[in-house]
Amino acid sequence: MGMDFVMNHVWLRPLFMSVLVVTAVMTTCAWSIWFERKLSARMQNRLGPTIVGPAGLLQPLADALKMLRKEILIPRDADPWLFRLAPPLVLFCTVAALAVVPWSETIYIADLDVGILWVLALAGLMLLPIWIAGWASNNKYALFGGMRAVAQGISYEIPLLLSAMVPVILAGSLNLKDIVRFQHDHGWFVLWPPGIGLVAFVVFFVTSLAEANRIPFDVPEAESELIAGISVEYTAMNLGLFPMAEYVHTLISSAVAATLFLGGWDGPFFDATWYDGVVWMVLKTGVLFVFIYVLRWSLVRFRSDQLMYACWVWLLPLALGLVGAAAVWVKLTQGQG
Amino acid sequence: MGYLLDAFKASLVTLRQTRRATVTVEFPQVVRPRTERYRASFALVHEAAGPEGSPATEGGQGEEACIACKLCQQICPSDIITVTPGEKRVSPTTGKNRGYLADFTLDANACIYCELCVQVCPVDAIVMVAAAEVPSYAREDLVLTMDKLYANETQRRLSWANATKLWDMQDPTRTPPAPVATEAVVSVVPAVGNATESVAQARPVAPAPVENSEAP
Amino acid sequence: MFTALHPPARPDPYLDLDAYDPAADLMVLNLGPQHPSTHGVFRVKLVLDGEVIVKAVSYPGFLHRGVEKLCEKLTYANVTPIFDKNDYIAPMLNEQAVNMAFEKLLGLEVPRRARWLRTLLAEMQRIASHLIAVGTFALDVGGAIGGGASVFMYAFRDRDRVLDLFEELTGCRFHYNTHQVGGNRHDVPPGWDRRVLAEMDAIESALPDYVTLTAANAIFRDRTVGVGVLGRDLALELGLGGPIGRASGVDLDLRRDAPYHCYDEVEVRVPTFTEGDCYARFMVRYHELVESIRLVRQLVQGIPEGPIAALKPTKGPTHVKIKEGQAYVGIESPRGELGTYLIAGGNKGMSPYRLKIRPPSLHALATIPYLLPGNTLSDAIAILGSLDPVMGEVDR
Repeated sequence: MGMDFVMNHVWLRPLFMSVLVVTAVMTTCAWSIWFERKLSARMQNRLGPTIVGPAGLLQPLADALKMLRKEILIPRDADPWLFRLAPPLVLFCTVAALAVVPWSETIYIADLDVGILWVLALAGLMLLPIWIAGWASNNKYALFGGMRAVAQGISYEIPLLLSAMVPVILAGSLNLKDIVRFQHDHGWFVLWPPGIGLVAFVVFFVTSLAEANRIPFDVPEAESELIAGISVEYTAMNLGLFPMAEYVHTLISSAVAATLFLGGWDGPFFDATWYDGVVWMVLKTGVLFVFIYVLRWSLVRFRSDQLMYACWVWLLPLALGLVGAAAVWVKLTQGQG
Repeated sequence: MGYLLDAFKASLVTLRQTRRATVTVEFPQVVRPRTERYRASFALVHEAAGPEGSPATEGGQGEEACIACKLCQQICPSDIITVTPGEKRVSPTTGKNRGYLADFTLDANACIYCELCVQVCPVDAIVMVAAAEVPSYAREDLVLTMDKLYANETQRRLSWANATKLWDMQDPTRTPPAPVATEAVVSVVPAVGNATESVAQARPVAPAPVENSEAP
Repeated sequence: MFTALHPPARPDPYLDLDAYDPAADLMVLNLGPQHPSTHGVFRVKLVLDGEVIVKAVSYPGFLHRGVEKLCEKLTYANVTPIFDKNDYIAPMLNEQAVNMAFEKLLGLEVPRRARWLRTLLAEMQRIASHLIAVGTFALDVGGAIGGGASVFMYAFRDRDRVLDLFEELTGCRFHYNTHQVGGNRHDVPPGWDRRVLAEMDAIESALPDYVTLTAANAIFRDRTVGVGVLGRDLALELGLGGPIGRASGVDLDLRRDAPYHCYDEVEVRVPTFTEGDCYARFMVRYHELVESIRLVRQLVQGIPEGPIAALKPTKGPTHVKIKEGQAYVGIESPRGELGTYLIAGGNKGMSPYRLKIRPPSLHALATIPYLLPGNTLSDAIAILGSLDPVMGEVDR
């Protein structure tokens, strides 16, 4: 018995890891809200939360408590079941992607051979509950938000998938752990093949911003235009689940980008066994995560048609070219592995 | 690509701001410094103390300044001042016949803080106070009765302006302008509640250096 | 990189929807009255074909307070504080406009020091007002949770510097009631001029940040360049002056073309653009901001000596009486020509018989049926923001 038994058990291990990873990620997301509020406040010469707890550290708890205590209102003409179904589904679709993200050689939930496909499939599936939320609210602003989200999600899925294919082609595997191991042996994909890797990383990062509806691609929620888009009719914790899902989604996007292009848990200085080698992965994910928030508080947003234009006219051909270039590179250097 | 470059530039601007001091003032705990002319609420004042031993100098003050002339009630654009004159009687300090207030009510719910009542008062009886703590939980609290108005005189910092000072300032025959402020600007006003913290993070309104404002 | 949508050159504001493409599934969307981006309570009924606006009908009036009718009961001394509430972004200009109308009928010569002070206060108020315009426009384009909010916060931070100065001078941060018939009520406190100069430096040092976050940013330009183009002819037709007119090539600025106060003693440079789009409107305001800072610096260093009022101080409600006459005074408010038309003689000469305000924002809103059709919903918000209307003076 003991830790070794759990870690080697076919059922207990995923269960234990699920609890560990999901708890860690949800807690991180809750406090990243605090962090973002503090960061954005400093960016705007404000103080941010200060009242609840030291330096406002208990603010996420207070927010959650407030959300839980509020009344759940369902508009008279809304579809009551779909309306209730959408927020948990959104959260489910994002959290489920955590299953394949490898935080280190030993900390992961499932070592899926089609790991990257699972992540991308769930990102695609997430559009469904968002559209459900937009439709079931029976509100024109929500409808616009849902429509924009679906259009944007479907479009940006393609360059996202194509740019994610570059590491897959180079590493010859869909398994995220294999991709990291390959980078450990041959160098991070952001550095090589020269140019291709870097551009693919940028394309992946930009499109995953759009997938996560972050500024400058946040047209589906667009407070100043659609007020809050899909979540305009939601109240209480139903309303809270949307931003929570968004934060988790952003975190997973950062983690996947770090895995695919920045070498995952691989890195110098720290032994791979020190804290199970999780330090580098957390650092890389954290840097990308914070950078997304810095961008969010610095940029204005595109218009939805400009978004479509950018996707179909610029990003899609670019991503296609990258896949071709990666394939050619692999063919040319096949001898070296 | 220009978009990425611009995004980085914008991020740098916002990130650079994080090093600056914040401008937030956490209001109930910290009260930003009020300038001396700041006007927020009202007070009715007493005359200066009379000669030693005269009957109306109890508490170090003279008698009530208001003579119930109703000028403030007439000029108020919002019609919120109600003056109820009392009986006229001989003033114990001056020995002359003058009016006294029976009641005075100022409904600050509708006040627009235009300072016109202060401007017209012939005896400098009504002034404004520089305390910002006007908000309250009940509408009734905003109805300033005579008691509250007289309490404000001693409990809150009085604003600079009264009718005499305003008239002096607006005197059309004035050349060159007299120095307009006689005392230094009070930098920090303690709140009525438990506000004792300094205004460390608020951008202070610099205390006035004593010199004439007319730059050559 | 992106091209703007191309709306028809002159959309028909009275478009008959039955004549519109019958296959189009039109949708009516109420933008407002409770919408964060309508700058107050203002309703626009949008008829949408997909996300493209086919017809826009504006419904102002939610903030109607009956100010003009109220003035027929108030004495002349009382009118000024009420007028502070009209254009609540730039109250100083309202006070000046209405008092100048009274002075014109009385034939009063306002002392030079008061006129100079009014010029200075007007320019400072213009800075504060344009900072709000810049900030809220970024907020409209960028979102309340995003980069726009940062610009908005910076703008409010800097606007507060001006308001601090106003507080020191008048005792109030806005709704000052610092003007009266024949002059000003408050004179400059000691050391105020130095603080004005210091705050102007502080505001000016923050201006490059605004440019980097907005005008120099490619995304911002994509959102604004070529969006909501207002032609010069239409601008003239709708009686638009001010920043909106100047962005469309109407080179008209009352400060320069019909000087009042002390504007004839300073050089007023008027930035004029010809594009007429949201970007031009934004840039006109930005350049006026820079220009106003220069003017304030120049003005505050040369305040002349003398009295600040032509009449004896107000000592009662019947201070000023105007028996008869009519006068119109127009001044350049941050939104355009703010006019006051006064017919005296009401209430035995104690009150105006009729006081008509010409609010520049109302004329700005007249462009909505022309500017919105052909653009998307997102552009509608940007266009509304670029018009910078203040509902307080539209509905009065």
